[in-house]
Amino acid sequence: MELAPENRLLPEKLGEELWRVAGAEPVEVSRAEFAEALETIGARDNFGLDPEKRANERQRETFWRALHLEELAIARGCALGRESAWRRFLAQYQKQLIRAAVEMTGSAALGEELASALYSELFGLTEREGRRWSPLLRYSGRGSLMGWLRAILAQRRVNQYRKIGRETELGEIEPAATVSEQVEAEQLEGLRLALKMTLSEASAEERFLLSSYYLDQHTLHEMSRVLRVHEATISRKLRRATERLRKQLLRTLTARGLSRRAAEEALGTDPRDVDINLRKLLQKSEGDPISDQEGKD
Amino acid sequence: MSRNLQPGIHPDADQLSVFVEGAATAREQERMLAHLAECGECRKAVFLMQPNEETQRAAATLEKGWMWRWLVPVGLPAAALACGLIAAVIYIRPRGGAPETPQQMASARQPETERPATTVAPVANAGADRIAPSGNLEQGAPTTKSERAPAANSTQVAQFGRPENSLASNAASNVPRKENRIAGGLRPPTSKSGPMTARAAPQKPVAAPSASASADSAPTADSSLAQKSISTTAISELPLNGRNVTDLQRLQPPDKGAAAQNDLARKKELPALQIQDASVQAQTPAGISGRITDRTGATIGGVTVTLRDVSGKTRQTTTGADGSFHLAQLPAGQYELTAAAAGFKTSQQSIELKPSEMAMLQPVLDVGKMSEVVEVEAATGAASVETESANLSQVVTEMTGVHRAVALPSALPVQATVSHGKRVLSLDDAGNLFVSRNEGKKWKKVKPQWAGKAVRIELMPPPSGEASAKAKGEAAVANEEAAFLLTTDSGTVWSSKDGAHWHQR
Repeated sequence: MELAPENRLLPEKLGEELWRVAGAEPVEVSRAEFAEALETIGARDNFGLDPEKRANERQRETFWRALHLEELAIARGCALGRESAWRRFLAQYQKQLIRAAVEMTGSAALGEELASALYSELFGLTEREGRRWSPLLRYSGRGSLMGWLRAILAQRRVNQYRKIGRETELGEIEPAATVSEQVEAEQLEGLRLALKMTLSEASAEERFLLSSYYLDQHTLHEMSRVLRVHEATISRKLRRATERLRKQLLRTLTARGLSRRAAEEALGTDPRDVDINLRKLLQKSEGDPISDQEGKD
Repeated sequence: MSRNLQPGIHPDADQLSVFVEGAATAREQERMLAHLAECGECRKAVFLMQPNEETQRAAATLEKGWMWRWLVPVGLPAAALACGLIAAVIYIRPRGGAPETPQQMASARQPETERPATTVAPVANAGADRIAPSGNLEQGAPTTKSERAPAANSTQVAQFGRPENSLASNAASNVPRKENRIAGGLRPPTSKSGPMTARAAPQKPVAAPSASASADSAPTADSSLAQKSISTTAISELPLNGRNVTDLQRLQPPDKGAAAQNDLARKKELPALQIQDASVQAQTPAGISGRITDRTGATIGGVTVTLRDVSGKTRQTTTGADGSFHLAQLPAGQYELTAAAAGFKTSQQSIELKPSEMAMLQPVLDVGKMSEVVEVEAATGAASVETESANLSQVVTEMTGVHRAVALPSALPVQATVSHGKRVLSLDDAGNLFVSRNEGKKWKKVKPQWAGKAVRIELMPPPSGEASAKAKGEAAVANEEAAFLLTTDSGTVWSSKDGAHWHQR
C-alpha cells in the first residue's frame, strides 16, 4: 500500500540517509520501498507515543533513527523475496534460529522441524489477498530481528504444545472433591467472592507476578529475566503483593460481616476446599490463545 | 494483529520482542503486563523467548575473544610479576607489627583445620560475631552467615573427636556425607588430602594454631613443646596465609584445662567436644558452637538448641540451613544443652564450660517422630538405612512398611510414600497418586498428566547452593525448593513442588 505524497511524513533527505545507513541497497530494497516501510511502521506505532498524541517532526525522526535499520532492511528484503536479502538472512540468523528452536523444544529433531516450518512461513509460501505474504513484513525494527524471530518461534512452539494437548488446566487437575466439614459453605462462598474481588483489584504487574509464580511455577530468576530486574526485586514484589492481597482479603471478609478471627480462619482454609478456579480468576482472557488470524504473524 | 492489547486479542511477535527487549514504552509495558497476567499462552511464549543463559555466556565469551587474545600475552606475565612482588613484600615484612584482629585470625586458621595432627576450633571470632551481655541469657537471634562460617570448620573438627566405633561413623563410611559437600564449598582450595576419618587422631588434645596470632604479644616458654607437637613435616605442609614458618613454630601447646575438657568429652561420650586452648584469651567469655546432624551425617537446619545453666536460665538459638549453631558470651559453668527438632528425638547433653573456652559440639539426632519407623528400623537392621532428614522419610517408609498404615481412598496397597513437611504423597499398587497436605489425614487423588502408570515417587532435596541463595529471600520461597519426582513405566520423569501440579522434566 503506497501512501499518497501529501500523507508522507518522512522527509526525502532523511529517508535517503536512513536508507543508506540501513544498507538497504545491497539487500535490493529500493529507497521507495524502505521509505514506505518506515512510514508504515511509524503510523502503526504512532511513533512510540500514546494513541491520543500526535508526533511532531523531531519525535518522528527520533523514532525512525532508533529503529534497527539494518535488520529492518534485511527483513523487508526477505519479505519482498529478494535473493541477496535471503542470503544475508541465512548467513546471519540461520544457526541462531535453529539453536533457539532446539533450546525451546529441548530436542534437536523437534527444534529443526520447528525452525524449518518457520522458514517456509517466512519465505512467504502463504498468500493473503492473492499476494505472497511473509510474517517478516510485520517486523517493525523496534526490537532486534533475532528477538523477533525468537518471539515468533516461541509462539509457534506454544501453538504446537497446545495442539498436542500436553497442557493441563489447573482446574482439571484437582477439582475440589469434598468440602471440609469444619468450614461452612456460606463462609466458603464469602471467601470465594472476596478472592475474586481482591484479585480483580490487583495491578497488572502483580497479577503477572502471581500468575507466573503460582500458576506457571516459574522461578524468581526466570521472572527477573523477563522483567529485567534483580530476582530479589521480584521476590520483594511478590511478597508485597501477597501481603497486600492478604490484607485486602481480610478487609473484604470483615466488610462482609465476618469477625476478624473468623476472617483469619477463613484464610486458613485449604484452597482446594474453595470451589474456585484461581486460573480463571487471574486470567480473564477468554480469547483464543495466539490466534492464527489477525493478531498473529 | 492487535495494536491494542485487549483481552482476547494477542500481541504479535513484534510486540512481544519489543517488550522482552525492554524497548516498549511505559504504556505498552503496562498493557503487555496486563495481558500477560491474563493470558497463559502469551506468558508461556514470553518465558520461552528467554535465551538460554549458557548460550548467552558462550556468546559473550566469543565477543570477548579478541580482547583475550590481546590481553593474555601481556596480562599473564604482568600478573605473575605482581604475585612475585607481593610474595617478596610479605616475606621481608617486619614481624613485630600489631596483633591480627580476630577476623584475620579466623581466616588465617581455616586451612589448618585440614592438618592431620592439628585440630582447630574457630574461637577467634566467637566474641566478635555476637555482642550479648554475658550474664544475661536471652533468646538467640536466627543464625546468620557470620555464625555459620566457622561452623563449616567445626564439622571437620568434630570428626576428629568422634569415636571410631560409633554408629554414626559407621554409617558415614557408607553414605555420602552431605555436610562434607557443604564444608567442601567453604574449604580452602589447598586441601587435597584424603578422607578425614582415615587420618584423624580421635580425641587427641592438640594445640590451637590460632594462638599464633597472639604469640607476638604473649611470648611463651614452651616453644620447644610446640615444636614437638607440630612436626617439621607438618609445618612445611601448612599453608602460610601470609605468615612465615617462624610464626607457626610459636604455637602454644594446650594447657591442662583444655586437656581436661577433652577428657571430659571422652568420659561423657559426647559425640564430639573439642576445647580450644584459650589461656591467652582469659578476658573473653566462653561459647559453644557446633553442628547438628542425623545418623547419616546430614546436617539438620531449624533445630532449636537450648542451653540451660544450673540456675535454670536458658538461652536458645536455632540452627541454620547447614545445621550449625553458635552461642557466645557465656559465663563459665555447668550447662545442659538440648537440641530438639520436629521428626527427631530430642538430644540432651551436659557440658562444663570454663572461662574463655569455646566448646565444639556435634550432637547427632535420631529420627523419632514416626514411632513405627523406629520400631521396624531395629528389625530391619537400620544401621544402613539412609535418612537424611525427617523430611526425606521415603527410604525409611519404603523399607519398613510404614505405608501399610496409610489408608488411601483407593483402598489399594500402598507402593511408596514420600513426605515433605506436612505434604505427603502416596502411590498405590495401581499407580494412582494421592496427595495429602495434612500429614495423611485427608487424601486427594492427583489426576495423572502423564501417560502410562506411575511406578516410582521420590523426593529430591534442594541443592545446597540454591537453598542458601533462597535463604536470603523469603522463607516461604525457600521451603518450596524440594521437589517431588515421579517416574512412569515408560521412563518419563515428572516433577512437582506441591505434589498436585506436575511438569515433565
